[in-house]
Amino acid sequence: MSRLSFRPRPLDIHKKLPIVKSIKDFEDDDIPTSTRTQMLRFVAEADNDNQVHQVASKKTVSEIPIPEYVIVDTYERDYSPIFNQPASYLRARGARAELGDFVEYDLDNEDEDWLNEFNEERMVLPAEKLVLFVLQVLNISVVLEFEFYNWCRFESILFKLEVLDHKGRERAGIITPTLGSPVPVLLAFEPAVEALQALSIQYGIFQSIYSYWKEKRERWLKPILRHLQPPPPVNDTNPYNVFRPREKAHRLHTRRMQRRENNVQSFEKLRQVRRNLDQAKNLLEALIKREEIKRDVTESEVSLQRIQMKYKNETELLQDSLALPELPSFRSKFVSSEDEFIESDDFQHKRGRFQPRGSMNSRMVMTYSGGIMKRETRHQPVPFTWLHKLDPLEPVLAFTKPLVAEKLAAAGIVPPLDSSIRSSRGNSICGRIGRGGRIIFDRWNPLNAYTNRLWRFAVIYAS
Amino acid sequence: MQPLEVGTRVLCRWRDGKHHPVKVIERRRLHSGGPNDYEYYVHYTEFNRRLDEWVRLEQLDLDSVENDVDEKVEDKVTGLKMTRHQKRKIDETHVEGHEELDAASLREHEEFTKVKNIATIELGRYEIETWYFSPFPPEYNDCLNLYFCEFCLTFMKRKQQLQRHMKKCDLKHPPGDEIYRSGTLSMFEVDGKKNKVYGQNLCYLAKLFLDHKTLYYDVDLFLFYVLCECDDRGCHMVGYFSKEKHSEESYNLACILTLPPYQRKGYGKFLIAFSYELSKKEGKVGTPERPLSDLGLLSYRGYWTRVLLDILKKHKGNISIKELSDMTAIRAEDILATLQALELIQYRKGQHVICADPKVLDRHLKAAGRGGLEVDVSKLIWTPYKEQG
Repeated sequence: MSRLSFRPRPLDIHKKLPIVKSIKDFEDDDIPTSTRTQMLRFVAEADNDNQVHQVASKKTVSEIPIPEYVIVDTYERDYSPIFNQPASYLRARGARAELGDFVEYDLDNEDEDWLNEFNEERMVLPAEKLVLFVLQVLNISVVLEFEFYNWCRFESILFKLEVLDHKGRERAGIITPTLGSPVPVLLAFEPAVEALQALSIQYGIFQSIYSYWKEKRERWLKPILRHLQPPPPVNDTNPYNVFRPREKAHRLHTRRMQRRENNVQSFEKLRQVRRNLDQAKNLLEALIKREEIKRDVTESEVSLQRIQMKYKNETELLQDSLALPELPSFRSKFVSSEDEFIESDDFQHKRGRFQPRGSMNSRMVMTYSGGIMKRETRHQPVPFTWLHKLDPLEPVLAFTKPLVAEKLAAAGIVPPLDSSIRSSRGNSICGRIGRGGRIIFDRWNPLNAYTNRLWRFAVIYAS
Repeated sequence: MQPLEVGTRVLCRWRDGKHHPVKVIERRRLHSGGPNDYEYYVHYTEFNRRLDEWVRLEQLDLDSVENDVDEKVEDKVTGLKMTRHQKRKIDETHVEGHEELDAASLREHEEFTKVKNIATIELGRYEIETWYFSPFPPEYNDCLNLYFCEFCLTFMKRKQQLQRHMKKCDLKHPPGDEIYRSGTLSMFEVDGKKNKVYGQNLCYLAKLFLDHKTLYYDVDLFLFYVLCECDDRGCHMVGYFSKEKHSEESYNLACILTLPPYQRKGYGKFLIAFSYELSKKEGKVGTPERPLSDLGLLSYRGYWTRVLLDILKKHKGNISIKELSDMTAIRAEDILATLQALELIQYRKGQHVICADPKVLDRHLKAAGRGGLEVDVSKLIWTPYKEQG
């Protein structure tokens, strides 16, 4: 309808829109008055007009006809005024129909007709028959007390038969959630007689009632009490069948809390879940332990290195003063109890040294306590075979592993045979790892007391 | 004479004494007649299907039987060319209020619900003609009249049976919690899971008056809000609405019905307002489930108009659609549709504005009709439904 030459932007519902109280504001713009504004003005000024869009396109309620209704004349009689509304709001009592005392079953046409016939046959006195006949002819719906009593009993008996049968089927475990095959009658005559003894029904009458009920059940192929009838299956496409249970998937969708079923499958699933959780727990515990050990190892390495550094500083001083390189100079510095050493003789021999580095297989914690070193061994350490090969006096650079000659040769790295190299103390045989991972063969070691005053020439090999 | 074929169009005398165009939907032989004596189930093409009924031959004007030639016509509104029959079908669909169903499901729906099975029901004080087919259990197929217990809604085939039932039935109100009471008006909340038979009975009953309701699935995922008028005989149902316990599309209402004897008294509007009060208490925006019937749509438009325009009249300053939605629990799309239908949203100087001229608003409010019975929120004692473990 509008003749605007541009398309308005889509409306943002979060954006605050100004409320314009008067149409006159619309006339302030440059845009020529559109048909919309004219319409608004028209609406405001018109009197009682039926051309407002909303009404014109829809019928008003008064024009939509509906089917009729009338008042029932027996209403006042049928419904007695015995209701007392309590002052507080009414609360639900819980579903009445949980197969309790209340007789949920109501006789239907078949039942009534059958009972009528049955009563007629039983009646001996023609007078009774006549009375009934007259009443039927006159179509009087007054219910004789005698009749009513009979209806009542009949209804009650049918109800109880249904309930008993249902319970029997429940115990036998054949209750189906949906209506698949015909629902069988499990309740036999004799047990029924026994169960309903309290009602003190004449044996012959009860026999008739029982066979009537059984025959009806066999015709219907399902319980006659609606409450007990299973619903149609979910995939039933007959549009005349109603109230199907929801499919599981849909239930999950629409219900926040899953209904937990109590069957073997879910038990197995839960057991599996439990197993998985236990395994996960064990795994995580092992993981934690491993990480703790790693942490301890790292810590011990760190303290090791620290001590090595300290030791190195002290070593220089002592090395200067000592002439015999073979003696482990610091033996006296260490206190180690016999029972803490579990290893080979070699290891014991070397106990003065801080050689183990980077080994994952032991836990050795060095604690520095007032100048006395105490070494604690917690686990069985792996034999430090490469320790033997080390020269005790070889200067040790922090954080490096000593090089093994055979491995170097295998890799094709051969120390230079320079004449200027003085073969001293295995320096020229084994190199060392220097800065940046380079393998360095020292001609002399500046840290070595003997070569303090000589220059060092490093031969660098790419590693 | 030859009996009429199904699908024939003819004029028929309606209850107002005048002749109206009908289409024959079904026919059946009369018990007490000759081989050619039929009665016909007809649909009044000007009206909703609820007025369909069985009629006798006398009511039909046989001179007006159509010899139809299916010629091509042009639909004036859309400019499309189609056959006369197609055009007629479309026009009738618009009359019915079925626009929101697609053609296929509409056909399917109409197929199996085309003939009413129950003609009248007795419920409490009233005997009511039914509007639509309802899928009662097959045992009830042979019955034209059903008798409902007013309180537990059990249905029976003979009046006697109902009278007997009333002597033993001690229920005097819907089997749920009373959540609202103001004067003689009470609202009960019934859980479909706890009171399954009642819920099913209510659905059977309601379907007699609702066209597009389906009873495909069971009632345990629904809550039923039953509105009652109370007196010394008990709490008598006048209407109800149902609501999903958990709705994915944020529907705050599934089906809504005021029983025919109680219509045009403001109960329907009360039910709509009540459904929004519940939404407000839940803190959620809501909307009714679609499709809405013709009467339903009218009522909702009226409600939305009244609520929104009342706010616009009093509000100072700017307002966003979202704010309106938060205040009223009405979904933004519904607000937008209402305001746009009333042409209250204009585009000026590069932005949207809401026109709230008091004269204009009053015009619309008058057209929207009176409000129904009011909901007194202080009398609502209710907590939102929680699943029990």
